[in-house]
Amino acid sequence: MNPNRFQLITPNDLADYRDRANKIAEASWPEFMLHDPIADEYWHELFDRFIEYQFAMLDTEMNRMAAMGNSLPFHWDQDLSELPEGGWDWVFVKATEDHKNGVASNIQSAIQVAIHPDYQGQGLSTKMVQAMRAIGESKGFRYLVAPVRPSEKSKYPLTSIDDYIAWKTDEGLPFDAWLRVHARMGGKIIKPCHEAMTIRGTHTEWEAWTGIKFPQSGRYVIPGALNPIEMEVDQDEGVYIEPNVWMVHEIR
Amino acid sequence: MDTDRFQVITPPTRADYRDLVRGLTKVAWPEFMLHDQVANVLWHELLDRFPEYQLALYDTENKRVAAMGNSFPLRWEDTLYNLPEGGWDWAFEEAVKDHEQGLSPNYHCAIQVVIHSDYRGHRLSAPMIEAVRAVTKAKGLQALIIPVRPSEKSKYPLISMADYLTWKNEEGLPFDAWLRVHARLGGKIIKTCHESKTIRGTRAEWEAWTRMKFPQSGEYIIPDALVPIEMDVVKDEGIYVEPNVWMVHEVG
Repeated sequence: MNPNRFQLITPNDLADYRDRANKIAEASWPEFMLHDPIADEYWHELFDRFIEYQFAMLDTEMNRMAAMGNSLPFHWDQDLSELPEGGWDWVFVKATEDHKNGVASNIQSAIQVAIHPDYQGQGLSTKMVQAMRAIGESKGFRYLVAPVRPSEKSKYPLTSIDDYIAWKTDEGLPFDAWLRVHARMGGKIIKPCHEAMTIRGTHTEWEAWTGIKFPQSGRYVIPGALNPIEMEVDQDEGVYIEPNVWMVHEIR
Repeated sequence: MDTDRFQVITPPTRADYRDLVRGLTKVAWPEFMLHDQVANVLWHELLDRFPEYQLALYDTENKRVAAMGNSFPLRWEDTLYNLPEGGWDWAFEEAVKDHEQGLSPNYHCAIQVVIHSDYRGHRLSAPMIEAVRAVTKAKGLQALIIPVRPSEKSKYPLISMADYLTWKNEEGLPFDAWLRVHARLGGKIIKTCHESKTIRGTRAEWEAWTRMKFPQSGEYIIPDALVPIEMDVVKDEGIYVEPNVWMVHEVG
């Protein structure tokens, strides 16, 4: 493979960067994951406030975006073990509020590393995490934290996230492939964040997002979700609360 | 169905029946379903004791079998509402026992209707059920009873079978596609049989059957199972207890 085939680019390198990036998100996530209200409300802040923390990998041979990375800086002066249960949703709001209020940031958080399905299994995830760390390094941060989505947990929706993150391979690395990518690069598990994303929708919305029917109230397993969702037919509301895992990379 | 193209064959009418149907069960079911103890011990009895009750649809164009139906006669003197929880496993053992003891049967019970995956969409399921019902009539048996596997329940493993059975589509027919095929042909739901098949295996066996890992004891969702399995790593045993639905076709 041509070693220069994949090139890191920033949002200013391509006029249609955001359109192309959206296509990667749509191709990499189950539909319901695109309906987190915090993400929908705050996504533009990545480009309005934190543009230097966004990047992508361009396949120069095909002129296609193969992967994208999103992160942001925030302020945190407590112990990392105190990072909140709110995980992904929390850190997005926190970074935006800090920036609005002029609070100086001292730590970086990953928001997303998405590899287009056509480019998975080619070692891009490691390159993407390295590129993200390099941004934190250039800013002089000590830590890159990440509310990591352990994607293989979707096969184990009845196992608690606390138990799941203790599972190891024969090599002693995390069982989950995404946690393992981070661990191989020196990332350490801090703890689960049990409410990293909260996604609500009506009965009809959930049916459209999942292709599943919800004729009665109760818990349902849906494809690609890490936990069951709770459907309340009388209130016409289904709620999915996604658990993630706080991990930390020591940058320097 | 093209009645010229597809012909009903049975072991007595086709000397090579056994060879023609070989492998059909294997492609039709998830691997773990092939490890039901009762099925493995008794399967040969179908051809040894009940050859006239085994039938297949032979595709005369491609000279291969497209579908198969397996059934047997048994004796049941109580009301159908009291048919046992043991469903499939019970019926198979009962039929063999009745035959051994020379009891004359009064009911016809089907234990499998499979359509080869290459023939899905050819609308063979209704003609197959019709063919099985024709046997009920030809043998002068009272009715056809079936412990039906509602295969779409695998998308709803956390819903109880009793609730799932009540789900309807907009036409007022059963939500589940297999239950609906039977209902359209006049089949009526009697009730759930909660322990229709019991499948036991060691942890290593379940890992091989499902390509999952079971690092700790607990309930697991496995692909294509109708309810979760229970894994006990200390006893090195996983148990799957499959619920089915007793249905009856009256033949008059």
